[in-house]
Amino acid sequence: MRPVFAFLLLALLCFASTKSEESDFEEDDGDFAEFDDGNFYAEPAAKNADSFSGGAGSIREDQDAAPKESTQSRKPAQNVESDEEDGLVEDDDEFEHFQDEEEFEGYDGGDSKDPPIDQKVEPKLNIPNIPLHFRTHWDSYWMEMLMVAGLLAYFANFFAGKAKNARLAQLWFSTHRALLDENFALVGDDGKAENENPGLIKESESLYTLWCSGRTCCEGMLVELKMIKRQDLVSLVAGLMRPQLDQAHIKIELTRGVMDAFVFAVGTKKTITKVFKEYTDLSKFCSLVGKPEDRYNVPTGFGVLSEVPEATSAILESRVITALNKYQSYIDYLHISDQFSGPIQQEEGGTLKQPETKAVLLAGFNLPKHAEMETIKPLLLLIFYLMERLKTYRMSKEGKAKSDKNRQRVEEEFLKSTHAARAEAAAQRREDKRKQEKERILADEDPEKQRRWEAKEQKRQAKRNAPKMKRLAVKSL
Amino acid sequence: MSIDPRRKEKIIRYKAPKNQGQSGGANEDMMPDYMNILGMIFSMCGLMMKLKWCAWFALYCSCISFASSRASDDAKQVLSSFMLSVSAVVMSYLQNPAAMTPPWAS
Repeated sequence: MRPVFAFLLLALLCFASTKSEESDFEEDDGDFAEFDDGNFYAEPAAKNADSFSGGAGSIREDQDAAPKESTQSRKPAQNVESDEEDGLVEDDDEFEHFQDEEEFEGYDGGDSKDPPIDQKVEPKLNIPNIPLHFRTHWDSYWMEMLMVAGLLAYFANFFAGKAKNARLAQLWFSTHRALLDENFALVGDDGKAENENPGLIKESESLYTLWCSGRTCCEGMLVELKMIKRQDLVSLVAGLMRPQLDQAHIKIELTRGVMDAFVFAVGTKKTITKVFKEYTDLSKFCSLVGKPEDRYNVPTGFGVLSEVPEATSAILESRVITALNKYQSYIDYLHISDQFSGPIQQEEGGTLKQPETKAVLLAGFNLPKHAEMETIKPLLLLIFYLMERLKTYRMSKEGKAKSDKNRQRVEEEFLKSTHAARAEAAAQRREDKRKQEKERILADEDPEKQRRWEAKEQKRQAKRNAPKMKRLAVKSL
Repeated sequence: MSIDPRRKEKIIRYKAPKNQGQSGGANEDMMPDYMNILGMIFSMCGLMMKLKWCAWFALYCSCISFASSRASDDAKQVLSSFMLSVSAVVMSYLQNPAAMTPPWAS
């Protein structure tokens, strides 16, 4: 293949060079023609033109004359050659054969037949379209300028938004700091061996987290401050169409056994319908309560998801209802569950074990618009109150029986749904085991052992097929 | 609250969630990843097909990806996306320094 390529390349180069030569000639013609224009002064121009054309003519004449001379000079040379046959041929012209009339018929004739250049008709000039120098036309770059301006605006907004988010997060932390210090032995942890910078951890420019731990009835509390993406101009523009709010998400991992077994959620209707679909525990254990305003006195616009009605009404007691009413605009949701396992997993088929569950208390609060963090401080108190309430509250026997039944039902459903997958996995395991055994036997050098194993295997296969055969026989009868 | 609820012996250190970066979390922000991929596609289009607006969009995409990336994310990825988009812009103007024409003008 390589020689072919090399040949093609060579051919291409040759072609390119001939092309360039042609164009050179054309350009030269153009140059000569420029002198023919003679627009400067009538007299000298004409002279120039004459002289040049004369020059050109004289060159041609010279060219014409040259062969003549050479033919003339050749004749004596030929004579010399004929005179002394083995003589030197230094006098001989190197390009003599070009003038050989037998080899180049009509070579000179063609030259002499060239039509004389017509002085009056201007030769056609090819003037290529050369783009005007671009620096002279900055105006045409308005799109690029727009793009660069957009980039500058984006970065200006990035720094401004980043600073504002950081300020808001710090404000939240400083407002709640005293309360957190009163409740937790450890406030702010970056997860490193030496707690280098206790306080908020910046996950991204719009997400700050705070880990608190060391309190009764809970393992730890994770606060996520989800700000509007002020650093991203595109998100801000999108936010104009779908307004968003700064939010604080609180996740408390409760100590096992602190709370009774039930699942419950209350929140704005929009959020409740969303989490009902999203979270495994809510979708499996809970049902949406109809008319929660009448039943539990929750403020209008709120929805309730309940598993055990008794527990729901115990949680939604007068104090909590008062808080819900008072801070209606700031509360997004409250979610209490002993079976929390995160959002529903898509690849249900692949999991053969039930997901690990935790007892949690989740809450989502909207942060006030004008950075008045003091107004939402009581919401953290509400969380601590709920935690204490969960610790002390115990369900009645009926309630417990109901929740146990629910848990059993969910487990059975899970086992049923994964039955086929589990059977397949068991069959696969058996098959693998057999294969391993076969390999082991084959690797063994004792032929007696192998024979015995094969006989055993055949027997097993026959046994496996036997009942089917019997049934077939019955059917055929 | 009369009793001090704090318990020093119950302190559990913070562990970053394991499923970070995976597509499991419902509240996981996928914006930087999407923008990264989109930026890469636009850069490639800009480089291969010499489309200037593609190269510019790639630059914007990598900016958005940078702005909304997590602190735990790999900075190299963002940087490489930036480099690719910048090179797409530079290359397209080196090859043809003419101004970009808006789509409605042509």
